[in-house]
Amino acid sequence: MKVWNVLLGIALLATVSACGREERPINPQPTAATGGAQAEPSGTTSSATEIEFWYPYSGMAGKTVEELVRRFNASQSEIVVKASYQGDYYENHAKVLAAIAAGRPPDVTIIEIASVGAFARPGTLENLGPYVERDGVDLNDFWPGLMLNSYWDGKLVALPFFRSTPIMYMNVSMLKEAGLDPAGPKTWEELRRYARALTIKDKRWGFTTPIDIWFYESLVFQSGGSILSEDGTKVAFNSPEGAAPIRFWKEMIEEGIMKFPPGEKYNAWTVADTDFFNQQVGMMFSSTGGLAGRLEQAKGKFELGTAFLPKNKEYAVPTGGANIVLLSKSTKKEAAWKFIRWVTSTEQAAFGSMSTGYLPTSRSAAETPEMQQRFKEIPQFQVALDQLAYARPRPMIPAYKEMQELIMTELQRAVIDKNISAEQAVAQAAAKAEKLLR
Amino acid sequence: MVRARLAPYVMIAPAVTLLGVFTVYPAVDLIRLSLTSWNMIDPVKTFVGFEHYLSLAADPDFRRVLVNTFLYTGLCVAAGLTVGLALALWLNRGGALRGFAQAAVFSPHIVSLVSVSLLWLWMMDPQFGLLNALLVSLGLGRFPWLTHPDTALASLALVQVWKNAGYNALVLIAGLQNIPKELHEAAELDRASPWHKFVGVTLPLLSPTAFFLLVVNSIDSFKVFDTIAVMTQGGPVNATNMLVYYVYENAFEYFKIGYASAAGVVLLVLVFVMTFLYFGFISKKIHYR
Amino acid sequence: MNRLNVRTGPVGLPASAPLSRSASHTVPVITVSALRNAASKTFDVILLSLVSLVFVFPFAWMATTALKSLQETLVFPPIWIPERLHWENFLEAWKSGPFPTYLRNSVMVAVSVLLLQLVTIIPAAYAFARFRFPGKRALFGLVLASLMMPSQITFVPVYVLMSRLGLMDTFVPLVVPFAASAFGIFLMRQAFMQVPDETAEAARLDNAGEWTTMWRIFVPMAKPMLATFALFSLIAHWNDYFWPLVMTDSDRLRTLAVGIARLKDIEGGNAWQVIMAGNVMLVLPILAAFFAARRHIVRAFTYTGLK
Repeated sequence: MKVWNVLLGIALLATVSACGREERPINPQPTAATGGAQAEPSGTTSSATEIEFWYPYSGMAGKTVEELVRRFNASQSEIVVKASYQGDYYENHAKVLAAIAAGRPPDVTIIEIASVGAFARPGTLENLGPYVERDGVDLNDFWPGLMLNSYWDGKLVALPFFRSTPIMYMNVSMLKEAGLDPAGPKTWEELRRYARALTIKDKRWGFTTPIDIWFYESLVFQSGGSILSEDGTKVAFNSPEGAAPIRFWKEMIEEGIMKFPPGEKYNAWTVADTDFFNQQVGMMFSSTGGLAGRLEQAKGKFELGTAFLPKNKEYAVPTGGANIVLLSKSTKKEAAWKFIRWVTSTEQAAFGSMSTGYLPTSRSAAETPEMQQRFKEIPQFQVALDQLAYARPRPMIPAYKEMQELIMTELQRAVIDKNISAEQAVAQAAAKAEKLLR
Repeated sequence: MVRARLAPYVMIAPAVTLLGVFTVYPAVDLIRLSLTSWNMIDPVKTFVGFEHYLSLAADPDFRRVLVNTFLYTGLCVAAGLTVGLALALWLNRGGALRGFAQAAVFSPHIVSLVSVSLLWLWMMDPQFGLLNALLVSLGLGRFPWLTHPDTALASLALVQVWKNAGYNALVLIAGLQNIPKELHEAAELDRASPWHKFVGVTLPLLSPTAFFLLVVNSIDSFKVFDTIAVMTQGGPVNATNMLVYYVYENAFEYFKIGYASAAGVVLLVLVFVMTFLYFGFISKKIHYR
Repeated sequence: MNRLNVRTGPVGLPASAPLSRSASHTVPVITVSALRNAASKTFDVILLSLVSLVFVFPFAWMATTALKSLQETLVFPPIWIPERLHWENFLEAWKSGPFPTYLRNSVMVAVSVLLLQLVTIIPAAYAFARFRFPGKRALFGLVLASLMMPSQITFVPVYVLMSRLGLMDTFVPLVVPFAASAFGIFLMRQAFMQVPDETAEAARLDNAGEWTTMWRIFVPMAKPMLATFALFSLIAHWNDYFWPLVMTDSDRLRTLAVGIARLKDIEGGNAWQVIMAGNVMLVLPILAAFFAARRHIVRAFTYTGLK
């Protein structure tokens, strides 16, 4: 019996290794015109140039990317894009790094905007400036707010892909019931007032938000401050503007009108979602990406409204999402550029936005008839777009990923511990952050 | 035991070669990288000697991570083995209901944590969660669970124990099944009480399996990653940040490969020492025959 | 092997045959002990149900959420019985990617890994359990050391190695790194060390070679442990998400666990009911494997010695 097992095992292993090398198309999805598995160093051996595109999108966004790639491949025959999913933003980053270390990086990939600097500094990203100039791409068509995280050291290294901003979601039915303005609060003080009015002790909280760096950045910008100095070499949130958001949140939490979700990052977002859809909170901050899904969730339950994040001294929001880049080690840069240019152009940007709920990245995309129709039917979509006028870049220095974790840790500490003041939290975070900048 | 010449080497050769390649090679690489400063992209790796180790020693966050890891391991192993043993003894009989109970107790292990993490977050919600509802109804008040640094680690350990108890129980049941029935019968003929049967026969003969679980549970808890990545991402306030997660973050989110490798080396050394201690002190007490 | 789970002695006769089974004309007697028995049995049932509930609760939630509509998924406290059973969630999960490919890959990887492991770990565990030889402690230390290497740390060197060897587009990186299991060697060593010396001696006196002794005597005696190991190995590699994700660059070789992860969206608006449907599909084969393995583990098992 066991001997038989051993033989079976060996046979299986042999088959398996052989199967692995076979070059035959397996998936029904026609993302590649040929069934080839290896990318050749020079594109002249096969009739079409093949490029590898690694993307970090799953769910609806992933389907949209696959559809875009399919359309590109179907629209012409010189270039075949092989797209593959590589996990979430950070898993994709890890894979790209490993692939670079192994000497076989992809040609095109997607980088989360705050990490663009980390990839750009060692020269991993190709300078797109020359291509843009040669082909006459109108960079002014892209929303200026979204172009901010695309430059490094004066060079253009990325183009906007799936981008978002934070927005405020409101249970408009609840607001109306409480006699509040259905357009929502416009300032921090109004937010506080509305939250107070909507709170029912132990049953309902007026407001919730994940204690997330993105929302902290928003509130710091709204107070007239910034996270880092202009040149990115000094900490700038160690200031009254940096402390104001923390104090604001602490006060609301202690008053019992704001609930903060357990878990971190996307777990916290989901918990906030749950509370919101169970009508246990009236207003929340979240992303515009996923607006479509949220509208679906609220259907039949309550009226869902969206609005700008309330201002303190001014309206302001950071942007979010990721940009598309060309890796400098690619051997098929022309083909890769053609794809990048196509996928960020008007029609594709509009399709991407309509399909996912991410922002239309260019003016022309927003002005297409389909998008205009969408805005008419679902005005909630217009909000994020309008808010772009107040968009600020997220800090881009390579050390920012680590810095944002440090800041968030101190944020959490201040929010949880009554004895730590907002100023202390900011000072502690700044001390740690300064070490990173040295 | 038998002295033999060639046979043992032949028998262990395939396994040891494979393990050597996939363990020793990455470990050597890890040590090498820990002495450099590299972000994975630059072709040049700058040699920095022991600088990273010194930074680790000076970093209070790293010390916190170490403490967390040890605490977490201690909690998970103690609770996991106790619950597992209790379940194994209780469920180690035939019968349809017991069969169902065994499957139920084991089900946490086969379900991916990602799919149930959301439910756990809800259950542990301080305001609306089921667990607090239970505690309140028993008059015990609300527990902060994952939202407070003082309780987050224990809450995570609870989830881990829930996930592992059935696994421990199953291994122990297999171990119990391994005990020849004659020994139980002999004890019974000697009119031994159930307690004496347990201490005199069951426990000693179960000890090889229990020892195995002790070592494996300890190593697994020490290496925890998925549970953190899925539930808390190391927070709140670093309360659930542990070694492997710390290494991953530093390597792939902050691009500090050298520093992360140094932390990785520390991890390996600690686990090795821990295992060495187990084998040194406890192994003697294990009764094999 | 009798189905009544009656303990048998070395010769197969009931050690203490309860009278009630052999007699065909029992008179039902209600005694105090009978009542106590009934009470303890009821208590047993209640306790079993409670404990089962505690452990299986999240699993049940996952299964019922798979049949909900989007709107019902985020309701908390959870709805247990959806208004309508949305079987189409399963279809949607299935269609979301090349699931037949994923399924095939998962089976190939899990089964290949297990078979290779059995071939490598049984002799190794046997050697560590039975023999004294120079360097044994060091080599066993090496085995244990490999238990300690987290995959998050080993994946880059292994990825680079596999790339350099040109093996990236094959199943090799998914299978070969796991072909030897330190966990398995350790587990089986413990089991083999429990085999009495006399049994092995008897085999040797019968002039049985080491391999025969191993396969014919030690392995059957350690069957429950082997079945347990097989189950754990299958579960671990079936549910593994990280390694198949990083060791493959395209969908061709990816497994079901990776496919299910793709059902989640990054920035919100998740279709939880489809995600849970995917997870249920992922778990069903494992449940089947569990029940199959259990039969090998929890049999009233007697070993009757060498013929």
